Amino acid sequence: MFKRLFRHDRRFAFGFSVLTFFILIALLSLFAPYNMKAWNTVPRDLPVSWQHLLGTNALGQDIFWQATAAIKNSLLLALIAALISRVIAIVLGLLAGYKGGLFDRIVMTINDSFIIIPLFPVLILIASILRTSLSIVVLGIIIGLFGWAWDARLFRSQILSLKEREFTKTALLSGMKTYKIITSEHLPYIIPLIMAATINNVIWVLGMEVTLSMLGLSNLNTPTIGTMIYWGVYVIIPDMMIR
Amino acid sequence: MVLRKYFIPRFIQYLTVLFIGITLVFIIPRLLPSDPVEHQLNRMTAQGQYLDPAAVEEMRETLQELYGLKGSLLQQYLIYWKRLFTGNLGPSFTQFPTPVIELIKISLPWTVGLLLGSLLLSWLIGTILGGIKVSFPNSTVAKGIEFLAMGIRPIPYYIMALVLLICFAFVFPVFPMAGGYSMGVKIGFNLKFILDLLKHAFLPLMSMVVLEIGGWFIQMRNVASNVVEEDYVVYAEALGLPKSKIIFRYIMRNALIPQITGLALNLGFIFGGALITEIVFAYPGMGTLLYSAILAGDYNLIMGINIFSIVGVSTAMLVIDLIYPLLDPRVRYQ
Amino acid sequence: MKRRNWLFFLVLAVLCLILASSVWAVDPPRHEMLIADILTGKVGNPGNFNFWATWVGNDKGLQQLVIDPLWMADYVTGEIINVLAKSNPIYNKDFTKLTVELRQGIYWSDGVEFTADDVVYTVELSMKTPGFGYHTQFNQNIAKVYKTDQYTVVFELKRPNSRFHYQFLDRWGACRILPKHIFEKVADPLSFQFNPPVGTGPYKLVDYDVGGYWFLYERREDWERTATGMLYGKSAPKYVKFIHYGDAAKKAMAQISHQLDMADLTPESLQVVLDRNKYARGYYAEFPYAELLHPCVTGAAFNTLVKPFDNREVRWALNLALDAKKLAMTAYNGAVDFSPAYIPALLPYYETYYERLQPWLKEYTIEVDGEKFKPYNPDLPFEMAAEAKKRGYKVPETEQGIRAMFGYGWWKYAPDIAEKLLKKNGFTRNKDGKWLLPDGTPWKIEIVSLTTSTNPSFKWAFAIANQWQEFGIDCEARPTEQVESLTETGDFQVVGGQPAAEPFGAGIDLYRAFHVFKSEYFKPLGEKLVGHQSRWVHPELDQLIEKMEKTDYNDPAIIDLGVEVAKILIDGQPGVSLASFPGFMGLDTYYWTNYPGGENPYAVPWYHWPNLKFVLPFLQPTGRK
Repeated sequence: MFKRLFRHDRRFAFGFSVLTFFILIALLSLFAPYNMKAWNTVPRDLPVSWQHLLGTNALGQDIFWQATAAIKNSLLLALIAALISRVIAIVLGLLAGYKGGLFDRIVMTINDSFIIIPLFPVLILIASILRTSLSIVVLGIIIGLFGWAWDARLFRSQILSLKEREFTKTALLSGMKTYKIITSEHLPYIIPLIMAATINNVIWVLGMEVTLSMLGLSNLNTPTIGTMIYWGVYVIIPDMMIR
Repeated sequence: MVLRKYFIPRFIQYLTVLFIGITLVFIIPRLLPSDPVEHQLNRMTAQGQYLDPAAVEEMRETLQELYGLKGSLLQQYLIYWKRLFTGNLGPSFTQFPTPVIELIKISLPWTVGLLLGSLLLSWLIGTILGGIKVSFPNSTVAKGIEFLAMGIRPIPYYIMALVLLICFAFVFPVFPMAGGYSMGVKIGFNLKFILDLLKHAFLPLMSMVVLEIGGWFIQMRNVASNVVEEDYVVYAEALGLPKSKIIFRYIMRNALIPQITGLALNLGFIFGGALITEIVFAYPGMGTLLYSAILAGDYNLIMGINIFSIVGVSTAMLVIDLIYPLLDPRVRYQ
Repeated sequence: MKRRNWLFFLVLAVLCLILASSVWAVDPPRHEMLIADILTGKVGNPGNFNFWATWVGNDKGLQQLVIDPLWMADYVTGEIINVLAKSNPIYNKDFTKLTVELRQGIYWSDGVEFTADDVVYTVELSMKTPGFGYHTQFNQNIAKVYKTDQYTVVFELKRPNSRFHYQFLDRWGACRILPKHIFEKVADPLSFQFNPPVGTGPYKLVDYDVGGYWFLYERREDWERTATGMLYGKSAPKYVKFIHYGDAAKKAMAQISHQLDMADLTPESLQVVLDRNKYARGYYAEFPYAELLHPCVTGAAFNTLVKPFDNREVRWALNLALDAKKLAMTAYNGAVDFSPAYIPALLPYYETYYERLQPWLKEYTIEVDGEKFKPYNPDLPFEMAAEAKKRGYKVPETEQGIRAMFGYGWWKYAPDIAEKLLKKNGFTRNKDGKWLLPDGTPWKIEIVSLTTSTNPSFKWAFAIANQWQEFGIDCEARPTEQVESLTETGDFQVVGGQPAAEPFGAGIDLYRAFHVFKSEYFKPLGEKLVGHQSRWVHPELDQLIEKMEKTDYNDPAIIDLGVEVAKILIDGQPGVSLASFPGFMGLDTYYWTNYPGGENPYAVPWYHWPNLKFVLPFLQPTGRK
């Protein structure tokens, strides 16, 4: 089936190739010859060459290897955050939508509270408590724990409509269990929505990380897409303007 | 019946969420490491005030008194509620004694204008394009749109904004580099000001719209792809109804629920402003106001701005819960 | 189809109108206007000009153009300029009475004459309004304030204070004088907005952005009736605009397109401006481009109450494990004014302090394991100059020129001595060469710093962390928005920033920089900070500061006391005293020339300092339109 998808659906093939490419780059970072956190491991401001594929930056780091580590870290962050928030959002969104009544009311109260928590102060607060132990993984978990509520509401909105459909009623009458109806009838139906929401969530997480870095709030010693932009903005961007 | 079984519990839920939210924005800023009194003392010395250490301690006392931070947390909490009920958000600490509401009044119009504009524009375009893509899955134009939307979407916002700025404000200086309006233009309801306003808002607006279209597009496309396979669409096609009618009346309308949920949530969040946009384009708004408030530990200002968001978001969620059945007759109140 | 065409043309028309609208914007003529950056960024409350209530930013043009102090410090010339005051402050014998003589013939911008009443009212209003910036200090010091005639004010002090007038000596902040005739009509001076501001300065406000991004000022018709006019003549620009474009990259873009005359940049963005705009220059026209004279010494401070930084030898070891040249290259591309003595190496302080310290510094010895080591390297500036020359930069040939750029010496890079010092104190290295604390656990250092990447706090934190890593310590720089609260309670190890307080940069007195170390201000960890972040105290230092207090601020004896304090600080090494604050300013000479610069240092060059009003009369229009 996978082969068929790959061969016939060009969109899938394209997406899959891109993802594989990034994962390969990320894996490459495991073989980096330099310490990614240290400065002045190579001469500063070298142009592109075979030895330094993308040159070196003003801090004396190899940009290519830096980029591989950045992609790895950012991907890791996004995957952790997305995974955690997906699990919570799907379970709660589906259950709340399907069960309705008091259960829905309670879950949605919690859900809505999570939506309105001002995320920014909370992240600063957590960063100040955890200090240097705020690693990529921990940050991913935290963003995941605060990033599910929005999508849970989205999934619930679909279920509200689905559960009044004929096929749900039929399944119900034929004595199917709740979880069975949800997993075998509703879940497949909203998979496209979940996919869309996941893409948007991953992009939101990456954007969040860039924002935190731009403001100097994340650990600037860890290479990520955000910190690379942060360090690069005073060097690369002005550089672009010259050429 | 519906009233008692649905509306009243839903309204209680609304009030509960409001209460939780408003309590949280009282607590969270106070847990933050930034202390408004220390921040002000630091700012005084940073602004070169000759504050000899002997005066520091007394100044601390004075500021605490002025800010109303003396007394237990519970007392402060009760005063906070009492003030809220009289519609008073208190004074800002960073711009003491200016009332928080005054500061919000300065920034809010810019933010609402910018974010409402970009949100509605990207939502409309994204949704319509998504619908078209699903209705004509094999047309080249639709594929081109899809490729663009998907390709642009992953660009980090900051880069996008910076590139637009460099291209259209620096290399080809068509649009201004900073600010919300020009010097010497009278603020008011006149053509000159409105055009000037649009000119300044254009780049910030576009930077957001261009990226956000992709998000709405993907969601619409995926949801609508389910709808296309539904019996009633197939039936309508078999009946030979005009294509435009099928697209708008059958496909798009039935795929709208997640779109409208997303739109409503986003609308509620408008009050927080767009921090990075404001920073990159030097555009006035709530984002920088809120951010500087967080850094300075300006409790009242953080609370004031967030209360707008809290009321906005929870009201938006209440409203969409109430209008689901109108949008999709299959959904019932329960 | 028809309808679509019509819609298309409508959109096109609207777009054209929008693009054309710039034609209508009524900017003042560019060749009559100087445009400077608002250094502290977007203004939160643009409509409020009442900066006596301390919550109002002072560099939106207010202190630079509109409001005057009694005296002004100029850290470039080292002089104290009499602004609204006619002469230096006059103290009585036991420092309990201060007489101030005022300049005559000065008028507020609304035509009312400036007199002693304004000064007395400023002080009295501050004393009775909690929340005014000088409320506390004035109440602690002043017993009585009154005028003896229209132009003479007398302060009677509660206790002897030889430096009371420092409250009125402007150095990027002081108690400036407010107009009595405006404020006396106000019911609540704390919430009063003072809009439009009325001042004694040579400019008045014309317009401002309600969003807080720009402010426009116009030269007063009666500029002759201002202190600036009397001192230096007519200011050249008819208009001055302050605008905030955003971060350094944006300021660079604005400066390249001649939309910003004076801007604070980063080393990288300044380079871009110099490459792209042939009219642009730095403070120095050539290397090192940066302004290195800022009256504030930067580096890092140890928290001397936290182990192992409570140990003087550990602090010395950490200083010796730093390679000054590498630090200078990493952080500022070699443009660094070395200041090892907790005093910024400014021109005015060279002769008074550094020349006197130099022989002592050369002989200063550290003893470890019976070995005597002289850590001071007096030749560092010359080595730096040679290095810069090797990289193709033009550097001055004279000793004075080189010292003006690279300051005095710094500590030798001596990891071997550092190693011995640490081992002597029980530190060990594990088999990977990483340092272990005396209790055998790995040594971890966290250097906290500001998050603004242009600030030396940030730059030094990263550069120092890097060197200590190389030395084998697990060290990390952590920029955080909470530096204030961490240092306030002492919850940190090392902080990037200022190893001592900032002196005035003018006159000979260093009391302002050193009195923060008085043991009177000492607080244990956890209690809120009052003195210096390092919480370092020393009994001898106490005695010296006390002696300073009993000596007139202008008495040459004060220099000897200052030198002695510096020696004690160097010996105790409560921080890393690296260099004075380097500033990377971009100046566009397309419309205006004759800015203060490295070749012609006639005044404080910074546009956010109150000294800007004394620079404006010297600017020359180029005539370009």
